[in-house]
Parts: sequence; C-alpha cells; structure tokens
Amino acid sequence: MTTIDPGMEALLETFVYESNTMLEQLDEIMLESERAQNISHENIDSIFRIMHTVKGSAAMMGFNGISGLAHSVEDIFFIIRETPEKLGIVFNALFDLVFQTSDFLKREIEKIQNGDFEESDPGALVALLHQQAAIMKGEEAPAESPIPATAGAAAAAEKTVEGAEDFHKVRVYFEDDCQMENMRAFMLLNQISHCCDAIESVPANPEADSSLCADIIRDGFLILFKPTETFDDVIKIIESSLNVKSYEVIRDEAAPPAKESAGPAAAGPGEAKTGTAPSGGSGGQTPSPGGKSGSIQSLISVNQVKLDQLMDLVGELVTAESIVASNPDLKGLKLDNFHKSTREMRKLTDELQDVVMSIRMVPLTATFQKMNRIVRDMCKKLDKKVELVTYGGETEVDKTINDSIADPFMHMIRNAIDHAIESPEERRALGKPEIGTVTLNARNAGGEILIDVADDGRGLDPEVLLNKARNNGLLIKPESEYTEKEIYQLIMMPGFSTNTEVTEYSGRGVGMDVVRKNVEKVGGSISIHSARNEGTTFTIKIPLTLAIVDGMNISVGSTVFTLPITSIKQSFKISDAKQVLYNTDGAEMILLRGDCYPIIRLHDLFGIDTEKQDMMEGIMIQVESANTIAVLFADELLGEYQVVVKPFPTFFNKYSLKEQGLSGCSILGDGSISLILDVGNLMSAQ
Amino acid sequence: MDDNVYQVETDDLSGRFLLFYIGETTYSLPLTHVIEIINIQHITKIPNVPYYVKGIVNLRGKVVPVSDVRLKFNQPERPYDDKTCIVVVLISDMNVGLIVDSVAEVVSIERTNMAPPPTAGHRGGESYLDSVSQLNGKVILNIDCDKFFQSDLAELFPDSD
Repeated sequence: MTTIDPGMEALLETFVYESNTMLEQLDEIMLESERAQNISHENIDSIFRIMHTVKGSAAMMGFNGISGLAHSVEDIFFIIRETPEKLGIVFNALFDLVFQTSDFLKREIEKIQNGDFEESDPGALVALLHQQAAIMKGEEAPAESPIPATAGAAAAAEKTVEGAEDFHKVRVYFEDDCQMENMRAFMLLNQISHCCDAIESVPANPEADSSLCADIIRDGFLILFKPTETFDDVIKIIESSLNVKSYEVIRDEAAPPAKESAGPAAAGPGEAKTGTAPSGGSGGQTPSPGGKSGSIQSLISVNQVKLDQLMDLVGELVTAESIVASNPDLKGLKLDNFHKSTREMRKLTDELQDVVMSIRMVPLTATFQKMNRIVRDMCKKLDKKVELVTYGGETEVDKTINDSIADPFMHMIRNAIDHAIESPEERRALGKPEIGTVTLNARNAGGEILIDVADDGRGLDPEVLLNKARNNGLLIKPESEYTEKEIYQLIMMPGFSTNTEVTEYSGRGVGMDVVRKNVEKVGGSISIHSARNEGTTFTIKIPLTLAIVDGMNISVGSTVFTLPITSIKQSFKISDAKQVLYNTDGAEMILLRGDCYPIIRLHDLFGIDTEKQDMMEGIMIQVESANTIAVLFADELLGEYQVVVKPFPTFFNKYSLKEQGLSGCSILGDGSISLILDVGNLMSAQ
Repeated sequence: MDDNVYQVETDDLSGRFLLFYIGETTYSLPLTHVIEIINIQHITKIPNVPYYVKGIVNLRGKVVPVSDVRLKFNQPERPYDDKTCIVVVLISDMNVGLIVDSVAEVVSIERTNMAPPPTAGHRGGESYLDSVSQLNGKVILNIDCDKFFQSDLAELFPDSD
C-alpha cells in the first residue's frame, strides 16, 4: 500500500509511538534473557503480549507485513509458553531471529513514520521463524526432514509418486504476490512432516532453487504424504499455514472425506481455507493493550511539538514577568504591595518553569539500554568479547538533548568496539582481561551533565593520529606545536578516519565528526583522554537543559553579557592596584585567599570599546568551571535575571562562537540582546 | 510594529525589485528575497566576526544577524542616521538583515532590460552583481543574493555544492 486512509492518520502517530516503545521493551527483555541464558515465564508472557499487540495494531492499520511477521514470532512464543522445555532446542537461533525481527519491524515503523508506506517483504524472516517453530513442534532438524534428496526432475518424482498407492495427494496454492513461494512450500513440508510417515513433493526440494517459484505459482505445490495419524490432522496444518490461498485434495482413491473442522490451529485466529491474508483474521481481533500490568501509572503521551510550544511560552512568560517587574515606568515609585505581588508571581512562574522542565526530563536509562543491543550485535559480528557497564542511567536530561545524543553514543561505542578494543587473543597477550569493557557513566555536575564513554582498549596513538592528519591535509600548524590534547581532537575533524579499512560499522571517516556536531548542536562539548593500552575516555559535557538560565547580567562597554549563576563563585571590587600581579609574560593575575588566579579582561577578549580599563573602576567576578577558576573583569553588574537561551543564528556557525566562550544569546526585558557566556570555553579560549 | 517603514505584500513578486542606495549608487534586490524593512535599531556586537557583520538584532523575539552592505562593498563606513534601514532578506532559510543607507521604492524590471556585468576587469575582489539595468535614466545595479552571501554561506553548507 502506498497511501493511508486519512482517518487513520491520527492513529498512525499512536501506532508508531506504541510500537516503538514495545519493540524497545522487547529488545530489553531479549537482552536480559540472553544474558541469563533463559527466558523467564514472565518474560515469555511479555514477549507474547508485545507481539500480539504489535500484530493487532499493525493489522488494524493495514500493515500486513508487520502484522504477519509479528504473528510468526507470536506463534513461536506461543509454543514456548505451552512447552517451555522446548526452548533449549532453538535457543540461540531464536534470539538472533527475534532480534532480526525487531530490527525489521523498527525499520518498517521508521519508514511509516517518514511517510513511506511501501512495505518490505518479511517473507524470509517469516520463513525462518516458521522453521524454528517447526523444529520446536517436531523436534526435528529441518535439514533432515524432507526426503533424501532425489535431486529429482519433477517428472521423475511424479513417476515414483504415482506408484505409491496409499499416498494422499494435496495440491496447495499460495497467495498471489506472497513471494518466495519455494520457501513457503518448504516450510509447509516441514510443518506437516511430523505427522506424516513419508512425504513426497512436486517439485522435490523446493527450497533448493528459487526459480521453482514460477512453477509453484503456476501449477501449485503438490504434496504426497502418508499421514501418521489421520488425514485431517495434516489438512488442518495446511489450513492454518500462512499464505496458503487454497488447496485441493486430489482423490484417486477413497480417502476419508475432509471434514469441515477448521478448529483453532496451534496458534491464533483461524485462517480460513481461502483466507485472503493472514492478518485478515487478526484484524477483527481486539489487541489486548490492557494486558500491560495494572501497576503502571496512568501516563499520557504528548506530542513533543506541544511540549516545545509550552516551553517557549513559559520562556516568554518569564521574560514578560521581568519586563513588568522591572519596568522603567516604575522607577522611583514606592510600591510595597506591587513588589509583594511581583514576588508572588515570580514564585509561581519559577514553579511553572520547574514543572515544565521536569516534564521534558527523561532518564538516560533508555538510551543506555539501547547501547546494549549495539554491543551485542557488534561482538557477534566482529568476534570480540565486550561488556557494557553503565552507571548513572537515572540521570535526567532534557528530551531534546536525550534524542540528539543517542546517535553520538552509538558511534562512539561502535568506534570503541571496532577500533579500540582488541581481539580476545591480543588482549590475553597484553595481560588484559579477555573481555573488554565499555563504560557509560553519566553524572550531574552543577548545571551540566558529564557522560563518559570509556573503553579499556588500545588507546589512541598520537603518532598515528598525526601521520593520518598529515596525509589527509588536516594539520593547520607545525606538527611540533600540537599538544597531546589537540592531537586527540584531530579525530573529530571532518574527513579523519583512523582505521584504514572501512568496516560495516565504522570507519567511513564521518563518525567522530558527526558526533561532535551532534553534541555541539545541543550546546555540549567533547574532551578526550587516552593512555596507550589502557584505553580512551570521551567525556561529553552537555547542559542540563537548553531553555532557561539563571544568569547575572554584566555590562562591558555597550554589550551586555549573561553569566550563568552556577558558574559564579563571587564578585568583588578591588581597592588597591597592587592586588593585581603580573606573570612573567605580563599576564594579569590576582591573589585570593592564598591562591593565584588569572584575570580575563572581557573587553580585551572580545575586542569591545569601554571606558573602564582600570581594574579599580570595574568589577571582578570569580568564576569556576570544571575545577578551573579564573577572574573576569567587566564594567559593572546589572543584576540577576532569568533568561531564555536562544542559539545564535546559523549564520554564525562558521565563526565558532562556542569555542570563544559564547554559548548563545538571549532577549532581555527591554528588547535588547545579551550574549550568554560559557565559562568553561571562555577560560580555554584564553 | 511601529518602526516598520514598509511591509512587503506577498503577491506576485517575481520581476519586482527593491531599490536602495549606498551613497549615490542605486542597487536593487529581488523582492522574492525581501522579508521586510525595519529602521536601524540597537545592534548587539558579536566578537571576532568579519568587519561587515555588525552583530545581531531582535526582530520580534527572533535573533537576526545583520551585515553592513556599505562595508561589504568596501566603501567607507559612515554613521547611521534616521534614513538608515535594515532590509531583512531570506537566504537559505535564514533571515539576515542588510544595513543600507536608505531604501527608495519597488520597481518592475524586465528581464530584457538587464545587461550582464562585465566578466573581465575585476580588481581581484568579489562581484555580487547579477546585472545592470537602466530605468527612467537611472542606472541600477541588480544584486544577486546568492552571490552576495556566498562567502558567508560557503562553510555553512559544505555539502551543498
């Protein structure tokens, strides 16, 4: 289908959201179970329920591919639920399959979300799932179940078959366009194999040659079998099999008449003999979202656009409030009651802001958990042993930030596993534990959140990085002038890739560059620490929230800066010029309670004209960020305000204002604009 | 907003141009790029940007960068007066303000009345001209907005060309 019923559009959003949530839950359960090498009863139920809901809602929306695939998984877990002891037979294959299914479904849902309703064909996965189901049902390896290969031309097979007296003949037709008819035929053979003593088919070994599809479509798939029990048992299986459009029983002997007993087949809704689509049945079935445990708090999902609007509005409200409270018209008036009221109002807007902010906050747990999946897949693919350890998953960040750091994490973890962590043999030789560790550690630090992505791999080699940068023409100054820190930063330059070979996961040379961009987009920064053979740590520093900052406005010349309150330690005036010391290079310093700090003249740093050049006239502000302390020199303090942070227009992207210590701007109560200072970058820009 | 000198209608704008002055010279901008014209207002300086980028202004809650066309055309700076205007244009989905000496009027210029600028004889500088026209005895230099912002946008969208 290429379009969607307009009436469904409203439901579509819910469907996408719900399905994504469910699939994430599925991944989580599967990972947990894989680690435990067992699926608890409870989890089997959950998986069953998830698949059931996905199936139901997909069918309702008319996404037959999704619903069919979900149905197949549901089938398998139905069997496991009934006979848990059979799980062992297919354990490993099953996990891979369910993960593949989950990926497939996520891809499909993403496509739907992007307005592309062209469904992919899950046929291959469905076939594989059926195979597993058959194995569990029959406890028979599929490869052995069909008759020994006669490698037969159809004619030859027909001949042998004709001689067989007590064979039943059934000709099966598959649905139009169901594709991979040969695989479906093979699946069907497997399914009925365990209740038949002997089976023949025309064509024989349908799975071996996909060109047989055409024959099967044209002539149907002829099955000849000797039932172990009754003929009806076999027919029931054929009836309940997916994608079977119709079948005819060819009677050349007195076979017991096929009774109309479309009893509930092993799984789910009874597909009619000539059912149109497997989902046709399940569409009428009510999905059971009520199956979610009753202990869940009542939650509603809200469109994020609305939340953003709310946030913007609150921002405007805060600005408007300060315009009213500090209105120039009120200057010089004695307004005790008015001030009391504005204080009350300030309290309320503060509270409102806190609540809106908390609505937008989500814990990092979900993002962290998604990484488990990547680690698992990469380890399998690359044959490495890596364990993901996470700390501080409960740390909450703004939803926007959370969304935009998931990709960077993924890149960094992929890089770590692909490039940094050695193969088990190499690690053993180095005396490291065979299993590598990737650590995600999130923690709050003032108004910021620090997240480490650390590995215990081989570490970065400055020599190699420099060589590489030189070859790629990325060096901008003489090599000898590069500090170790700057060399590490090179890997985040566009067009830099440390691995010479391009692998499936990383190494296209866009990775770290994109990571940096994504992190910077939300006002964050990345620093790198590395030690040879001990590992590399990327520390991502991101603001707790993007929107509103408590700031101290300071003026320098005609420019107003906003300094986040969290980074201010104290402000003071100096009365004696002798308090200012000079370093040997002439840099100004000041001695405060026995410690010496550099003085940063804001007017010098930003090239602003001001009359207050003398330290005695202006104001000194001691600021701190990440344990570095400096003293800023500005003209005067204008007062404390709450400001709504606005990013600089994209026009300025190329001037790297962030690196200079300007994190954004803000519109003040009088309509003028202040520049928001980022103390950390300001000090390193010095 | 009171300080709007002129608010552009959004009817058929193609073939119509906004005339403005830098000194004695008349330039034109295609009206399709022009969002609105506002009086000069307080500009917050941004440190360490090219000399012709004067800073940012608050356009009804939106932060808009402003460039001085005079400086961009390598002409001497002169103090802003009450005729100085900011022409807000839309380029690559961004609003950018252009400071001009004064704006004149909106005119229609036929495509046939546009002579391409000379390709030779540049003094090594950039040329932002699309064409030269003559209208009522006046010479008008038509500015190509894309060329005008090329150097500003070049690194912003490295993949675009």
